[in-house]
Amino acid sequence: MQTVDHNQHHFSLRDVIFLAIIAIFFGLIYQGWSYIYYLLAATPLKPFANDLTLGVWVMAGPLAGVLLKRPGVSTIGEVLASAVEMLLFSSWGAADLLSGFVQGIGSDLGFATTGYRNWSKLGLFWSTLWSTIITFIWDWFKSGYSKYSLAMNCSLFVIRFISIGFFAGILVYWIARLVRRSGLMKL
Amino acid sequence: MNRTKRRGLNPTILFVIMLGIGLPLSFSRSVILNAIIMLFTVLYLCWERVRLRTALLVLLIAFPLAFGSWASFMFFGTGDRLHAAWIYGTRVYAYLLLAMILTMTHSVQEILLSLHHHLHLSNTFVYGLLGSFNMMKNLRDQYRRIKYSAMLRDAPYHFWQAHFYLRLIITALNWSNDLAIAMTSQGFTEGAERTELSVDPLPAWQWGLAGLLIVLYCGAAFLWRPW
Repeated sequence: MQTVDHNQHHFSLRDVIFLAIIAIFFGLIYQGWSYIYYLLAATPLKPFANDLTLGVWVMAGPLAGVLLKRPGVSTIGEVLASAVEMLLFSSWGAADLLSGFVQGIGSDLGFATTGYRNWSKLGLFWSTLWSTIITFIWDWFKSGYSKYSLAMNCSLFVIRFISIGFFAGILVYWIARLVRRSGLMKL
Repeated sequence: MNRTKRRGLNPTILFVIMLGIGLPLSFSRSVILNAIIMLFTVLYLCWERVRLRTALLVLLIAFPLAFGSWASFMFFGTGDRLHAAWIYGTRVYAYLLLAMILTMTHSVQEILLSLHHHLHLSNTFVYGLLGSFNMMKNLRDQYRRIKYSAMLRDAPYHFWQAHFYLRLIITALNWSNDLAIAMTSQGFTEGAERTELSVDPLPAWQWGLAGLLIVLYCGAAFLWRPW
């Protein structure tokens, strides 16, 4: 009797549980420092607070991508993380799932740009760039960025790229390097 | 077979309504429609007799976010600031309440099993997620243990340090492996048909209601376009 699906293109039970546990840990991390975010977000500086911290929210997708290295895994990883967020932790409601999907697509597009061949620096660079662009377009409509001035939008875009670039790019690269060195997974 | 009698709408229908209205909501620009969504979702929650204290607490926690949205447009907005401030301030609550009609009226298990029955969410996802959610308390304890062990070494972890995530990934790898082995040894077979132990009734009229609400909302948001 076959109990484990070895088809690499499908998500195994172990992959799903692994991503869900990672998502729960991320939820706990967000919870831990959301107080600082709430302090900032309760002021007119909310869009800056959003863009400054967005990198952490976007991390789950590219992290799932570099660890499992499969097309679509970033999107599923990010949607899973946002589902966990919505069900267990957050005060964003339906926006969680929608934003999670958009963020995951952005990250996946980055790896797709390299033909899903590069899961290292180049893939992560494209992933952060596409994530920044796609999530910014999303916020243009969803969060009303179109109603801010051009100068403010430019600064928000730069802040967002720095945040996503560090957390979902550089930090994810460092994490993947540590995991590879530890020999825990073949990366 | 386990058949539960419920008062309100099926979780799948609530999920479809949540996303079916949530997505166009992101592109609509109407305070009145946001208020209508809020009114109807609050009425539904009252009718479902959800725990008032929990509901109020959730709504209260979201207040800084709604206020921040409102205030940022009053300060930094261009054009009709007041309109923009109220659109995006009330939108936070519209999104939140749309999710609350689902998450406050059904357990995670009911939602996932319902999505499996009616939207073909694979069993691997349903039971994988359920297994992980059931470990929530253990995961929270483990998370604390990881932080405390680092503090004992006088080198506390911060969320910008790669080593911190490595520790979490090690736990996730070990635990996911153990849980997957435990589940397969108990007879879980990936991709195989399972005996369904629960029945999740979904009358056709509820699909009609979801479709009608979504069409009505889209029509009002993009054709009528009230203030």
